[in-house]
Amino acid sequence: MINPVIQREFYGILRSQRAMAVLLCLTVVFSIAVLMRWPSDASVDLSGKQSLEVFRVFGYGLLAGVVFLVPAFPATSVVNEKNGGTLALLLNSPLSAFSIYFGKVSGVLLFSLLVLLSSLPASAACFAMGGIDLKSELGLLYLILSLLVIQYTTLGMLVSSYAQSADAGVRITYTAVLAMFFLTLVPAAFFPGTGGLMSTATGWLRNVSPVPAVMEIMGHSGVGSAGLKIASTTREFIVVTLLSSLVFAGITLSRFNYRIFDRSRAKGVITNDRGTLAQAARRVMYVVDPQRRKPGIPWYMNPVMVKEFRCRRFGRSQWLLRLISVCTVASMVVTFAAATSATSWGVETVGGLMVVLQVVLVVVLTPSLASGLISGERDGSGWELLRLTPLSSLKIVRGKILSVAWTLGLVLMATLPGYLIMILIQPAMWLQVNFVLICLVWTAIEALAVSAAVGSLFRTTAVSTTATYIAVIMLFLTPILVWLGRDAPFGHDTVQTALLATPVGAALNVIGAPGFESYDLLPQAWWVAGVVSVVMFTVLGIQVWRLTRAV
Amino acid sequence: MSDSETVVETKALTKRYDNFTALDSLTMRVGKGEILGFIGPNGAGKTTTIRILVGLSKPTSGSAHIAGADCLHESRKIKRLVGYMPDDFGSYNNMRVCEYLDFFGAAYGIARRQRVKRISEVLDITGATYMHDLFVDALSRGMQQRVAIARTLMHDPQVLILDEPANGLDPQARIDMRVMLLRLAEMGKTLIVTSHILPELARICNVVAMITKGKLRAFGTLEDIMRDVQQRRTFEVMLISEEQVDRVGETVRCWLREQNGEPKVDAPEVTCAKAETMVRFSTHLNDREVAPLLTHLVNQGETIVQFREVATDLEDAFLSVANAGDQTDVATSAGTGMQMSGADA
Repeated sequence: MINPVIQREFYGILRSQRAMAVLLCLTVVFSIAVLMRWPSDASVDLSGKQSLEVFRVFGYGLLAGVVFLVPAFPATSVVNEKNGGTLALLLNSPLSAFSIYFGKVSGVLLFSLLVLLSSLPASAACFAMGGIDLKSELGLLYLILSLLVIQYTTLGMLVSSYAQSADAGVRITYTAVLAMFFLTLVPAAFFPGTGGLMSTATGWLRNVSPVPAVMEIMGHSGVGSAGLKIASTTREFIVVTLLSSLVFAGITLSRFNYRIFDRSRAKGVITNDRGTLAQAARRVMYVVDPQRRKPGIPWYMNPVMVKEFRCRRFGRSQWLLRLISVCTVASMVVTFAAATSATSWGVETVGGLMVVLQVVLVVVLTPSLASGLISGERDGSGWELLRLTPLSSLKIVRGKILSVAWTLGLVLMATLPGYLIMILIQPAMWLQVNFVLICLVWTAIEALAVSAAVGSLFRTTAVSTTATYIAVIMLFLTPILVWLGRDAPFGHDTVQTALLATPVGAALNVIGAPGFESYDLLPQAWWVAGVVSVVMFTVLGIQVWRLTRAV
Repeated sequence: MSDSETVVETKALTKRYDNFTALDSLTMRVGKGEILGFIGPNGAGKTTTIRILVGLSKPTSGSAHIAGADCLHESRKIKRLVGYMPDDFGSYNNMRVCEYLDFFGAAYGIARRQRVKRISEVLDITGATYMHDLFVDALSRGMQQRVAIARTLMHDPQVLILDEPANGLDPQARIDMRVMLLRLAEMGKTLIVTSHILPELARICNVVAMITKGKLRAFGTLEDIMRDVQQRRTFEVMLISEEQVDRVGETVRCWLREQNGEPKVDAPEVTCAKAETMVRFSTHLNDREVAPLLTHLVNQGETIVQFREVATDLEDAFLSVANAGDQTDVATSAGTGMQMSGADA
């Protein structure tokens, strides 16, 4: 008999509008991508170059699809079941913990299989063009993506088993996925092919990301190889993915018992009630002690903004200070390394790296902070309570937007010391750095506007967080994917147009990052960001007006 | 009903969603310091009425006023006059009770110094002072209800509207809640309380409004409503032995049939409960008319331990009113249908 959990999970996912939209969008996008690159002339390409170009677009697109879409489903799978009380019922049934876990994982994997299947017509078209090897290219791509799906599914389930809300599950899963996808590449970039333990470790860490393996299949040199030819990374990727999936699954499975419910909630020992020594120690540890009794909200501050800061675990001041400290130290270390010739990079490369790191931080942080501004209140009945207060809808939205804007502002300012060192090294870069900072500010505004607007369209926080992450990541990653395909299959003009979608390309262009020098993106990129932000804030305004009026 | 100053007043309040009438010409008034028990089954229109009163919803027609302020056009004024506690707590994560109340106090524009004082006051009124530093999301249901009432009191509103305040509370918490509500009424607050736990409401309400299918079925003091619904009263005759039960039952049945008011076609409602050595009967007769039955039974040589009327409680009254209202609706729609059929013919 089929495991009832598989049946329920799989049908449950298929019944959701979210799943239908995902499958439909993917099929359409893949088909359009292939059709756009389909040869229209009568000449025969014997070298297979044209089909490889199409295959590259298709492959990277499919990779992006898996990264954006797959984590959303396992991220909420366990936590929803736990909070809804049905996990307790399942654990109380004769089903073993393994059957329940296996059932849940299988449900998500079956759906992910459908996602991959929806790309088959497009991949068949690629293959039909010729020049693509079925086993070593197409087959290997699907193998890597399938393993990636397993890894992300087990990771999402692990996070979900620890998360206290579906929203937190989605946020943490996407952050972990992005870290595994992108941040694991960074250390290898510092120690390329130098030999030694560090180099070996960073080389393996690099293989956590699917990017090098996929790039290898696509015939590009691997990211982080810094131009050096690196031996095949596919086998390492397969080993790392399988091992990590097993570890994730093992830990999750070990929690499928009383432990998953066994969590005492600290009712809150207040620092003011502790001894003098403890108070002093906490003052040094935290700088801004989260457990200290807060003074009332002053008249000049927007109460909604203060409330947003206070009710967000991550938004609390001590977390912000930690984050800013990390950013400050990281930016200074990177710049210092360049200044003392510890690396062979020029200031441009360092600047480019800092811009990319900052953009990643903005892309990860903003949806997490802004997606639930409205949906979080609607989900928890807070919206009705806010409507009952004399606060105007404008003041409510302003408070909410400001709470995110301040956080992003502080994060952006945290890297200022790095840029200052850069200016000290090359005083001529003063103007460039100014332009870069303006680009980063626009990046933050655009990300905030898109996150807040997209998030406000949904009623439940988990859905709004997922949709917002997908929207923001697509907005910021698509131009980079197009840029990766510069010269072939995309021409200079196409890449330039794509890079205008966000000010990130402009920032990299201004700082002179390798590969971005030849584009002319300013001031158009600022205008585009401005228009997108205005449109998105308008959408947010309309949605808030719709939700606050009495009907 | 008391003649106290009117604080809440609705006139022909109607709310329609397309073809569905959620609220149908609701007219009622509540005086200062009164506690109105708003009773009705799920989907009766209670929440719709409340949402209109607090300015969250717009009526299709009719009017609603609180302390002279129009609920539809003076929503800012209404927000200061009313404290509304929805069924759902609406907690925020990682916030302590004092921070939670501080936020709502700030939202109502209370100055910081006054706010600190007010937080202490409302926590004292609701018996929640010890929760001052606890996290709101870690509170039990009963504790959350107290904090929710404290929140509604922060801006010192004239009218409190509480949706199911006793829902999910344990017996002790329910008693505490009752005491708290009575204390608030003593402070001069006007309360509108909805609840499914009708005995709870019966103990605290001066005024009761019964609503089903969007229509107000009964409105007035508890005594008025009881008097209205008690068209048939239930009496119990307690006997000394089991063998008396059938005999007395038959005697009662015959006696009731002989009474002029009893419809001849219907068999009188007489129940013989041997296990309880008791005969129970319902009648529309009043005290004066029923009294001779006792004499008749004694004259028959029956030993009677007790002859008493069974008190009708709010639940009975509600069921009686709701059923009568529903039957009227059915009759009206059938009549309309017949008229329409006739017109068609």
